[in-house]
Amino acid sequence: MTLRWLLTGRVQGVGFRPFVYRLAREHGIHGWVRNRSGQVEILGQGRTDRLDRFERALTDAAPPTAAPHIAEREVLAWQQLEDFRIETSQAGDRPWIQVPPDHFACPDCLAEVRDPTDRRYRYPFNNCTQCGPRYTLIRALPYDRPNTTLSGFVMCPACATEYRDPGDRRFHAEPIACPDCGPWLSYRPDTAPAPAAEGEAAVEAAAAALRAGEILAVKGIGGYHLMCAADNTDAIERLRARKPRPHKPLAVLFPDEVSLLRREVNCSEAELACLRSAQRPILLLPRTPAPSLPESLAPGLGELGVMLPCSPLHALLLQAAGGPLVATSGNLSGEPVLTDNAEADARLSDVVDGFLHHNRPIQRPADDSVLRPIAGAVRPLRLGRGSAPLELELETGVPEPLLAVGAHMKNTLALAWDRRLIVSPHIGDMGSRRSLEVFRQLVEDFQALHGVRATRLLCDAHPDYTTHRWARESGLPVTPVFHHHAHASALCGEHGIDEPCLIFTWDGTGYGADGGLWGGEALYGRPGHWRHLARLRPFRLPGGDRAGREPWRAAAALCWENGLDYTPPVTEPSLLRAAWQRGLNSPATSAAGRLFDAAASLIGLLQTASYEGQGPMLLEQAAAGCAGEALVLPLLTEAPPWQLDWTPLLAHLRDGRLPVAQRAADFHASLAGAIRDTARRTAADHAFTRVGLTGGVFQNRLLTELAQSRLQAAGFEVLLCRQLPCNDAGISAGQVYEHLGGQRGED
Amino acid sequence: MNDDTYISLAHGNGGRFMRELIESVFQRHLGNPALDVQADAVRLQLGDAHCLFTTDGFTVQPLEFPGGDIGSLAVHGTTNDLAVAGAEPKYLSLNAFIEEGLELALLDRLIASLAAAARDIGVQVVAGDTKVLRRGEGGGLYLATTGIGLALPGPVLGLDRIRPGDAVLVSGPVGDHGIAVMLAREQFGLRGDLRSDAASVLPLTRAARDLDGLRFMRDPTRGGLASVCHEISRATGLGVRLREAALPVRDPVRSVCEMLGYDPLYLACEGRVVAVVAPAQAEALLARWQALPEGSEACLIGTLEAGADRVLLETGIGGERLLEELEDDPLPRIC
Ligand SMILES: [Fe+3]
Ligand SMILES: [Mg+2]
Ligand SMILES: [Zn+2]
Ligand SMILES: [Zn+2]
Repeated sequence: MTLRWLLTGRVQGVGFRPFVYRLAREHGIHGWVRNRSGQVEILGQGRTDRLDRFERALTDAAPPTAAPHIAEREVLAWQQLEDFRIETSQAGDRPWIQVPPDHFACPDCLAEVRDPTDRRYRYPFNNCTQCGPRYTLIRALPYDRPNTTLSGFVMCPACATEYRDPGDRRFHAEPIACPDCGPWLSYRPDTAPAPAAEGEAAVEAAAAALRAGEILAVKGIGGYHLMCAADNTDAIERLRARKPRPHKPLAVLFPDEVSLLRREVNCSEAELACLRSAQRPILLLPRTPAPSLPESLAPGLGELGVMLPCSPLHALLLQAAGGPLVATSGNLSGEPVLTDNAEADARLSDVVDGFLHHNRPIQRPADDSVLRPIAGAVRPLRLGRGSAPLELELETGVPEPLLAVGAHMKNTLALAWDRRLIVSPHIGDMGSRRSLEVFRQLVEDFQALHGVRATRLLCDAHPDYTTHRWARESGLPVTPVFHHHAHASALCGEHGIDEPCLIFTWDGTGYGADGGLWGGEALYGRPGHWRHLARLRPFRLPGGDRAGREPWRAAAALCWENGLDYTPPVTEPSLLRAAWQRGLNSPATSAAGRLFDAAASLIGLLQTASYEGQGPMLLEQAAAGCAGEALVLPLLTEAPPWQLDWTPLLAHLRDGRLPVAQRAADFHASLAGAIRDTARRTAADHAFTRVGLTGGVFQNRLLTELAQSRLQAAGFEVLLCRQLPCNDAGISAGQVYEHLGGQRGED
Repeated sequence: MNDDTYISLAHGNGGRFMRELIESVFQRHLGNPALDVQADAVRLQLGDAHCLFTTDGFTVQPLEFPGGDIGSLAVHGTTNDLAVAGAEPKYLSLNAFIEEGLELALLDRLIASLAAAARDIGVQVVAGDTKVLRRGEGGGLYLATTGIGLALPGPVLGLDRIRPGDAVLVSGPVGDHGIAVMLAREQFGLRGDLRSDAASVLPLTRAARDLDGLRFMRDPTRGGLASVCHEISRATGLGVRLREAALPVRDPVRSVCEMLGYDPLYLACEGRVVAVVAPAQAEALLARWQALPEGSEACLIGTLEAGADRVLLETGIGGERLLEELEDDPLPRIC
């Protein structure tokens, strides 16, 4: 019998054709396999039982990074075939349509790195068709070595033989490398003009520096890390002072052998499997009662960001350093991680004592992915190396190719065409030159790599967002999307839900459909058709944007709105108060994020923040272990949208007789209860059973879990983000879902 | 919310809305070879003489503020536009729109101030007109002045002269006028340490005028220093790179800005000059300015760069912040 299959899904750049080749040989199948427009086409001829087993194995035994799906299967007329071949791609095809993320070394490659007799023993850049970097080294189409950042490395005869052998697991492994022909490491102390050590000696020199308490810039897969010994309080303090990053939590890199990790954080088997997956993300896990690493890694917080090595280089460095290492992004706050050797030399010189460079260029940055266990699942806070580009399948086709340029903070972009939606890794906060450059590069790369040109741009409606202006200046048709509509649609979109539901979109601020600053909204409807049913009672923020870094401003706003005394910590409190009264740079907002800031400030946890989200994070931590009691927050229903009044919280938060933990816990419990009450009240007038929670505020585990259980107890089904971050990293995808929903029209 | 059906206050703030309004209405209807909507003053050939010609309206509130008033401002604003275009101002016309109910003694004070300012810099008011508006239809007093001056010898100035690598200088601290007027308008009480910088920039432009390598001068009024940089970047296609550490901002201005959440780079000045000069002559211009009382706090603040079309602020810790074009009052962008 002769069969023809067409396979879709992630089947290119993951060693799928060599896998099919070996499988066919194993099962005695004749025929061929070839790439076709991003899909894989297979012709197989053989006995029916063999073809059956072969077909099952195509999906069941596929390489771990592949995700094949049989889209077509047909029986063909008999033709004489002699053997099984890998045919070259059809001319005119778009052979590289899926861009896989960067993955950790596979078990076979790791075994080689650990085998003293292997020619790739201790080689930090080992990879094969089924593992290693992809996204960060592909320059252009088609995916061939000359179009990767390995183009400057000429394969040695041994590598070339493997590369050409269809039976070898490195057949057409484009980044194939070995110590004879591939990239290498160099170590340069910051004070030295030239490298002091190369290759293996560079790892030893870097490890010695780390052991001596120095701070290093280490080039990895998607960019530089700043590293120091995680048990060295002094080094951590110096790193914090130099970056400067006084309080923001630092991630820690642990060896694969996880006994050290288990001493520091509580980790379930599922979480461990996530850490060990080929994505190798940072996971935020609760610290153990008596950890041995210093508190200063994450001051005031009960969790630590941990990860395992994401490449053989990191494994070798950890081993040589002899203990866990701090590994934080080598960038300036909010900017994309640095990728270029010379730029790292120039811009990190004041921060580090030495550089562990390598000479494999990084085509585009991919910062570490960050996940947090919330409400029974590990949920993404940042899409990055290993997890992005993230592909989502759309329920319906896209009428024209769309490029969604996202929001402003923690930005990503998304490209949609056919039934495909692809979300970029984390870019950064858009107010910097480097973010804008990376953004522009990704706009070009995403379209070029996938062979599509967007004919319409989707942007946030906020007129001052850099991405909004960029879209307006592009010359393409632009559809602005309201920020919270995008948040709500992202959540519905990734769950494939198009029936009416109630979505709480709680975040910092975003440009609302009424031209005001939203941030604590309840939207009813479905993508493209949202009604603004309820919101937090608005308050005017003295100093506008500055309130994001100065939680006391939100505290002042709440107090002043309610006619309570509040003396702001500035040189002329009366001047600020007068400016607020006259509405000078004091925009009204319903921002839930600022409400958390105000609570953190009123309780006395902090008055100014040194990183985004510090107030809410400290507030969540302050409530740890304390059972909160909910205060009832009135829902003012005179006019739509209804207003959820936070007033009862004020006196409670300011009551110095109550323990801090109690006040923090009661605050969370009150808001969770208010969410449930609002859902109940709106359910009286609208038919829905699903309630969604999204927006950056729901990165708060305590609030999310409390609200979820209250809602479930009230009979609602709760939607939480799974693949897309609930923060603004999800906005770009949400813009696509919102636009498509709007095009489907009113029912 | 801004839509394009009606004029909003944002159409007058010196930012993008105003630029687009001028392009879409005034330039569209009035376009002619001599009209240059980007220039402070236009160069006209009248017989043998090269003249520069400009006009300006004044609506400042309050009419009197620490460091100046609408009268002196009506002279300085227009003559400063001539001065930065490389001219020696000669004559002014004056239109006064007076609101019913304005106290005569105040009007007298304001016009006396105007006369004194004109006398000080050697210009004469040679034509005028007076209108009285009904109560409620004007802010007490609006003034409009038109000025004409003679081009001084020296290199031809213009945005088209600017080259990559050129240096950007500012003649003194920025933001004083914007903050002083705002505090006075909102009646926050007089503060001895905050005064408008309103003054004539003629001593500064005269000192710079004959310097070889001088490319362009402008007074950063509405929209402040950042808006001048945007204008330069937009017209030249070059990037403007400013160094935050080099920007002169007085402590009291900085502290009020920090408290109220304003950025001094977007606040108006009325007595400062921004100059673009060839890199080799940057130090010379700095020295000439610093030798004058008006320019004692002049600073070299940035450079023009090829391969970028943005206004960037190098921050203290090695960051490079994008300075966006002013829109409306800034809305928070923190999510
Ligand atoms: Fe948001
Ligand atoms: Mg003018
Ligand atoms: Zn491998
Ligand atoms: Zn080799």
